[in-house]
Parts: sequence; structure tokens; C-alpha cells
Amino acid sequence: MVDLARVQKELQECNRDVQVSGIRVSPKADCITHLIGSIPGPLGTPYEGGVFNIDITLPDGYPFEPPKMRFVTKVWHPNISSQSGAICLDILKDQWSPALTLKTALLSVQALLSAPEPDDPQDAVVAQQYLKDYQTFVGTARYWTEAFAKASSLGIDEKVQKLVEMGFPEDIVRSTLEAVGGDENLALEKLCSA
Amino acid sequence: MQQQSAIQAEEAEKIPFVGDKEPLSSLAAEYKAGGSPVLLEKIKILSEQYAAIRRTRGDGNCFFRSFMFAYLEHILESQDRAEVDRVRANVEECRRTLQKLGYPEFTFEDFFALFLEQLESVIQGSEASISDEELVKRSRDQSVSDYVVMFFRFVTSGEIRKRSEFFEPFILGLTSASVEQFCKSAVEPMGEESDHVHITALSDALGVPIRVVYLDRSSCDNGSVSVNHHDFTPVAGNNNSGGSEAVNPFITLLYRPGHYDILYPK
Repeated sequence: MVDLARVQKELQECNRDVQVSGIRVSPKADCITHLIGSIPGPLGTPYEGGVFNIDITLPDGYPFEPPKMRFVTKVWHPNISSQSGAICLDILKDQWSPALTLKTALLSVQALLSAPEPDDPQDAVVAQQYLKDYQTFVGTARYWTEAFAKASSLGIDEKVQKLVEMGFPEDIVRSTLEAVGGDENLALEKLCSA
Repeated sequence: MQQQSAIQAEEAEKIPFVGDKEPLSSLAAEYKAGGSPVLLEKIKILSEQYAAIRRTRGDGNCFFRSFMFAYLEHILESQDRAEVDRVRANVEECRRTLQKLGYPEFTFEDFFALFLEQLESVIQGSEASISDEELVKRSRDQSVSDYVVMFFRFVTSGEIRKRSEFFEPFILGLTSASVEQFCKSAVEPMGEESDHVHITALSDALGVPIRVVYLDRSSCDNGSVSVNHHDFTPVAGNNNSGGSEAVNPFITLLYRPGHYDILYPK
């Protein structure tokens, strides 16, 4: 059984200092075991200026078992799958502890953006590029940040139009965008899985 | 790696978190088939002083789990209220330590509450009182047992961080990690094995002496065999009575490389 009282307290604590940390966590729909987190890209990295959304699922054994986290926003990083968003980070696996929280876990993910570990890659292609052609890696990572992590700077009508052009009905697009807080990547994911 | 841990997990499942009390002869039986003569000799020496053994699951939490059961069982049998009051004061001190170190309250409060509840329940004479049988049952119930183990991990980590200058040289002897990294990677995650650093810190934090008896293949140069033990005696100034006077540990653990079980003196 997930410790729901604890999760509530975690959400309160995290959202209290969102101005300082920039880390947000909120429940996805009504279910508190399925959350969405977001982290700002660290300054001085190719991810600067982007906001990255992370899908969080709490397993039954939480907080004894680590939260399952996955990037929803596409990101070019040696330890994050460019395909699935899977994250390779020890504290999300065997180094997890109930002493950690969703917020500290997201801070660690943010630190991972600043300090890639290409020798322990999740995405071999990205890791190869990082090691062999660092300049191209930086260029690609920056381009992906521009293309995918800054999309929320578009106006709501532009987002609606983009999604309508993909073939989704406008009323559903609007309500879905609203439900995910205006994030078009999340909206697209939701529309596709509906 | 994953396969290895899967096999370990499967092996561990065969033993409950905390086993039944068994006569010490069951230890010798383990080594009968092709066991080293040194070990058998040492077990013989052990059997002069110790009557029984209680095994714990080898899941990396065995030290904390052994300590949990041995401590609560001691209180259950001794009904030592003074000890309960003393340890409760230390627990409150540990709570303040974690607060000062900046741990959010919600990360540890449930674990503290659950331990204090167990402590309360082994004292007889209230509605919540439990029997020895119930204590064994709870120690095998993950939703109690793992919470108490995690409580000890919090206490241990807090003590190490609080006295980081004292613990740093010992930690450097084990790994190249900093005190902070050590606590994060080797103390706070469940399933991380305990070393003398953990035992020292827990014993100091709670003010509870612990005797560890070592059973390994080592012998003296002249071929004579003896069984070594080490007493972890809490340092003074940690809210416990004195420090220089020799305290007779009421908790005795048997250490075999990589694992701790509980020993019962005769």
C-alpha cells in the first residue's frame, strides 16, 4: 500500500518552495499515485531555458520502493533514453531510500542533467556522441531543448491548432490541454493513449 | 547483476526475517558436511557459553533486524522500565538530530512512531501489550519489521552525520566516500549491509551496548583456537549513564563474514 498521507505531505512541501527550487510535482488527474513533475534545465548546460516534464508512478511499496520516473519531454542526454525517456540513475534503483523524497529525487535528476555519466549510459548513441564528438552532442542537446522543452512558450491557440492539425477534434484537444496544464507534449501523449 | 540479485532474493526468501530460537547444535550441523575443523572447534567453544541461536534473513538488513528483535525481546523479558525510559529519551535526541540536519519531518516520523509503538507494546500491563509469540510474528511482518529497520537506519545515519569528524577516518578506511556519500549510499538505503561503523553509531545513538562474537576461519599462529568478540560500548555524553564503567551487553550477535544472527548466552 502506498503511504498516501506521506505523499500528500511531500506535495505540500515541494510546492511550498517552488519559487526557490523550480521543482514542481502535482497529481495527474485524481489519482495520487500517478504524478507529473517538472524541473528547469540547469543554467550553463545545453538544457538551460527548458522545462522538462517527468512522469512519476508510485509503486505499492512506496516509500520503501523507489518512484518510477520517466522523462515525458524529449531530451538528448547520455543517461536518459532519447526514445522512451527512461532514466539511468542509482537513487531510482538500488540506492533509493525512504529518507529521500520526490523532491530530492527530482533534484538528483536535475543534477544528472548537469553532470552526465557517459560511462554508464542509458542511451548508447547519445553516450557515443558525448564521448567522441562533444560539440555535436552539445548542439543536438541544445536543439532538442529548443524544440521540445520550450514548447510551452507557444500560445494556447497555437498549441490547439498544432494538435488539431495532427487530426484530433478541437474540443477534446482543448479539454486535454487544460487537464495537463497546457503542456502540449503531455496532451499529445494523453490523446494518443486515449 | 540483476540475475545475481534475483538469486540472492530467492535464497533469502527461504528464511523468515527472524527465525525460531534453535539450539546451538544446529549451528554445528551446518558445517558437519566438509566444514573446516577450525570452525567446528570454535563452535564447540561457543557452545560452552551460548545456548541458542536465532537466525535472521540474509537480505542486507540482518544487523538491524537482529538488533531489533534482540532489543525488544530483552525488554519483553526483563520488563525494565528504566531502560525503556532511558532509550526513549535517546530516541527523542535522535529526532532532534535529524531535524537539525535538515531531514523533513515526514520522511522519518512514521518510522519513529512505529518503533516507539513496538517499544510500548513489549511492556506488559496495557491493552497494547504483546506476547513473545506476537513479537516474533510482528518481526516477520514486513509492514512492521522493515519500518523498524528503517528507523534504525535513520538513527544510525543521523549519529554518523552529527559526529562526522569522529566517523570520517573509519569511513575512509572502508571506502573513498565522504561521510555524506557514505550515509546516502551505505546506511540509508534498505538492504545495505552493516559494518562496524553502523554498529558503533547505532550503539552510541541509542546508548545500548552490543557484543559481537566473530566466527570465522582465523586461528592463532601456534594453532590454538579461540573465539573473539568485541563489545561496542556507547560513548559518554550521549544521554546514557556514565561511560567508563564496564557495561555488560545484553545484546549478543554472532557475526559470520557477511551476516549477523542473534546468540543467547547460557
